[in-house]
Amino acid sequence: MRRHPLLRAYLAGIAIPTVVLLVVMTGYTIIRYVFNVPVPIERVIVFPMAAVPNAWGLWNVLYVAFLEKRHFSLGLFGGVLPLLLAPGGLVVTRLLNFTVPREVFHYAPFALPIGLILYYLVWKYFVGFLNAELEIA
Amino acid sequence: MNEREMDEVQKLLKQALPPVGESEPRRDLWPALLRRMDERTVRVPWWDWVLLAGAALLTLFVPGVIPALLYHL
Repeated sequence: MRRHPLLRAYLAGIAIPTVVLLVVMTGYTIIRYVFNVPVPIERVIVFPMAAVPNAWGLWNVLYVAFLEKRHFSLGLFGGVLPLLLAPGGLVVTRLLNFTVPREVFHYAPFALPIGLILYYLVWKYFVGFLNAELEIA
Repeated sequence: MNEREMDEVQKLLKQALPPVGESEPRRDLWPALLRRMDERTVRVPWWDWVLLAGAALLTLFVPGVIPALLYHL
């Protein structure tokens, strides 16, 4: 299985967020429509649903194409991704005139390091496992 | 397909496929398999446990961070 390593890298990259987002979006939908939380999440849902898995896939492609041979840490490389995704999400909310709840900014100093740690661990162990299984790293 | 045709097909197949020279591998593959399985065992270094514990504790003491985290997904 030596053919199309970048395609396999892309598929390995999108696997985790696709599964996680399914769970998270189910939770969001229940919160929004069962508990009638007045936050119109559906207006910005396109960003996590479409952009995040693709960003993970392309991030893994970049890693396999340029950094894997230099033995750069996959965990550290993946841990940087929230620093791009979080501002990207904020830009989308601004473009769609979506009012971000004030609590999100209030807790951001705590959420950011936790996000970085989670991304580091998930990339190191889960994406790394998939890369190894698909024989690309 | 009758008996004679079956024999004919069998003979043709034997002619088309060369006999396998060695049925046994040249070396014992079992130790290599065990070594490969050992390599696959995930070893988590202590600093990753510290990071995980830190993130869990921070989430526990500041539960308001959970919606913010989900929002940033």
